[in-house]
Amino acid sequence: MDAAVASHKVNGDSHGHDHAHGHHESFITKYIFSTDHKMIAKQFMVLSLFFLFVGGAFALFIRWQLAYPGQPIPLIGDFLPSQWMDANGAVSPGFYTQLLTMHGTIMIFAVIVPLMVGLFGNFCIPLMIGTYDMAFPKLNMLSFWLFPLSGVFLMSGFFMEGGMAASGWTAYPPLSAVASMGQTLWIVGLFFAGFSSITGAVNYVTTVLNMRTKSMKLFQMPMTVWAVFITAIIVLIGTPVLAAALSMLFMDNFLHSSFFLPENLIVNTRDMSRTAGGGQALLWQHLFWFYSHPAVYIMILPGMGVVSDVISTFSRKPLYGYKAMVFAIMAIAFLGIIVWGHHMFQSGMNPLLGTTFMLSTIIIAVPSAIKTFNWLGTMWRGRMEFHTPMLHAVAFVSMFVIGGLSGIFMASTPVDVYIHDTYFIVGHIHYVLFGGSLFAIFAGITYWYPKMYGRIMNERIGKWHFWVTFVSFNLTFFPMHILGVGGMMRRIYDPNVYDFLKPFQPMNEFISIAAFVMGFAQLIFVFNFIYSLKKGKKAKRNPWRANTLEWQAPSPPPHGNFDKELIVYRGPYEYSSPESVQDYLPQNLSPEELREAWQVHDERQKQEEKEFTV
Amino acid sequence: MLDMLTWLPENVSTFGEGIDEAFAFIYWVSVGIFFLINIIYITFIIKYRRRKRSERAYYTHGNNLLEFAWTALPFVLFAGIGIYSDQIWRDIKYAELQPNPDVTVEVMGQQYMWHFRYAGSDGVFGHREMKFISSTNPFGIDPSDPNGKDDVTLINQMNVPINKHIQVKLSSMDVIHSYFLPNMRIKQDAVPGTWVDVWFNVDKTGTYEIACAELCGDGHYLMRAELNAQSQEEYDTWINQQYEMKLASLADPNADTAEGTQQDTTQTASNDVAGGE
Repeated sequence: MDAAVASHKVNGDSHGHDHAHGHHESFITKYIFSTDHKMIAKQFMVLSLFFLFVGGAFALFIRWQLAYPGQPIPLIGDFLPSQWMDANGAVSPGFYTQLLTMHGTIMIFAVIVPLMVGLFGNFCIPLMIGTYDMAFPKLNMLSFWLFPLSGVFLMSGFFMEGGMAASGWTAYPPLSAVASMGQTLWIVGLFFAGFSSITGAVNYVTTVLNMRTKSMKLFQMPMTVWAVFITAIIVLIGTPVLAAALSMLFMDNFLHSSFFLPENLIVNTRDMSRTAGGGQALLWQHLFWFYSHPAVYIMILPGMGVVSDVISTFSRKPLYGYKAMVFAIMAIAFLGIIVWGHHMFQSGMNPLLGTTFMLSTIIIAVPSAIKTFNWLGTMWRGRMEFHTPMLHAVAFVSMFVIGGLSGIFMASTPVDVYIHDTYFIVGHIHYVLFGGSLFAIFAGITYWYPKMYGRIMNERIGKWHFWVTFVSFNLTFFPMHILGVGGMMRRIYDPNVYDFLKPFQPMNEFISIAAFVMGFAQLIFVFNFIYSLKKGKKAKRNPWRANTLEWQAPSPPPHGNFDKELIVYRGPYEYSSPESVQDYLPQNLSPEELREAWQVHDERQKQEEKEFTV
Repeated sequence: MLDMLTWLPENVSTFGEGIDEAFAFIYWVSVGIFFLINIIYITFIIKYRRRKRSERAYYTHGNNLLEFAWTALPFVLFAGIGIYSDQIWRDIKYAELQPNPDVTVEVMGQQYMWHFRYAGSDGVFGHREMKFISSTNPFGIDPSDPNGKDDVTLINQMNVPINKHIQVKLSSMDVIHSYFLPNMRIKQDAVPGTWVDVWFNVDKTGTYEIACAELCGDGHYLMRAELNAQSQEEYDTWINQQYEMKLASLADPNADTAEGTQQDTTQTASNDVAGGE
């Protein structure tokens, strides 16, 4: 019984201060051109999840071709435009190249980055630091609206002659600089995506530094906020460089300049007589990876923050080594900026740089190990509750360990000579971005869903989704390491051209079947998401009994978030503290409230003892 | 079952041995770490589930000694892997550590084929420049240089003697390709406008595959060539034949050039591959 009394205190259902702005909003200002950070976060989430299915469908086309090369696509093959298909009704090599390019581009720039930064950044920062909105709500709205604009440009190659971009998501020139219109549109689309990231990042940094609620020190912020904050700094350092590189590539493509084009290229896709030459193709790779390697950390660090929060909450135990965790994120972010050359070991750059970039890269394993051990430390002697978010978070840690370990192979220059550009790297990147980022995203969405919509996602369906995804994920991506060891190059339309790859055909088929299961399993998530909007169990303010400030707001929080003043007294991870009556201790619970809760608790206990003796 | 490295294609080179050794070392270290962490992890998951609602977790914020230990130990381990790897990397890639090459071959990537060039019977490569590159002169051989007249060029076929240090000078005439020899564990991007050196050897005769490992366009997957590793005697016979064919074609300018004939045959062959698949 004391739990209910204390939770009443803790949740502070007092309606004394009403910070919520009660003004009327039309449909357009509420759902479309909204400046409310929560609505913007949801907009990012819905659009990104839509793109998740687009990118996933592209991947399934790729997998079909690799499993059954040259065989017509069942069911939908007849409805696809003939210019994408070969005579049999199978995917044509040109369309295949477009698919793999757009799969990578969409998953990175339209799914993982917007979910990690756009969703968690927007939703969590103001709520977790106890403020009413972002520092610049209108800029925030712009940040969102640049995202669909970017998506339109990225996808519009569909309707162009020559189709979509087809030079890989890395778009190495000269291939990308002498390409079709779809490639030019891809460049413009990515430019807007970068613009969206920058406007978002400015907002996050400003908000975290200036708008924390009273007396909240930096080292009282939850890991999610720390992670998004540091990610935003990486975005601000890296994205302008991407913008510069994209501008140059655009000019090479459209205005016949030669930033990346050496003299006298012999290509038949375009008239080169107006191109002077004298450029350097490797310049693009340096500029691109100067952004895109940190981008890998943009895609994983917020996930690490989310997972830290989820694991601590559901282990009912303080995050092990909170400061070490923060410093490890900083170290990863810093090292992440100086390791881009490890994508270029075989590019023809000076091999001496291979040595230096290998050493800086391999050292990233150290902060990553620190994080892993601290997650283990958090679970050690905890009291773990395996709700759906926790399952995803636990899977994240385990998959991240595999993704991290497989990264060492690529970091080691001599091994990279062999496995560079093989399926080993495809397996690695999917362990990091799917096994890592996407599981963290699922953890985050299921964890904050009650706060977003006031209802809890159905646990039974959620667990089904988790287990099917987890098993099929491993069956899909783990064998890719074996393909890579066998030497199978990435981005090839038909491995059977090579004798040494023919024995891998059964494995490719196996992977594809697992991939189809995994792809369709995501429909369970969508079903659960929509089903729980109406039928989910109603959530109180703090359904997970968590400490951080967002759980002090109503579920869902109104525009303006909090209905009371928040003063922060302690860090975010005081679970199972002996100070507290319960096994959690919200950041804003004042010493007076705590004392009262103890008095109530003591009286109740005396009462019980009396009853017992009588 | 646990040993993924059995899937590696046969290694037939000295550099490959070093690479495979590093691969195996990192692999077994990783497997060890993976099992160590996951055994702990699964034990925790089973042991520290919440069973009774009243139970409380152990209240601790961490331990600085432990933090120090799991920072220092991985640092030593991973820095060690880095330094160890670098020794092998130097041997493969650093130009100043290479012995004098026994055979030098120039390799030029083009969508979607590989060109190979051997010095002619005079043993000297003709001077080349980028501005001379054209679809009929993929290496950009200076037409005014007499040394270049007898250079032997081939398409999608490369012959080398075994147990010799081979030097490849690599470039591309259109987009970036990557010269990949799975059985020699060699991979190097071919970058237009730049010549990059690659070294390797082969210690067993046979025909091996050369692949393109960098996306170079729609026909990327078709960019396959063959490497014939021959004994020195066989190689000498073969190269002398090439010299003779080249000289014969030079003597009779009306006949198809040796280059042209070979180009036609190999292209037909690769088209057959494409059609057959």
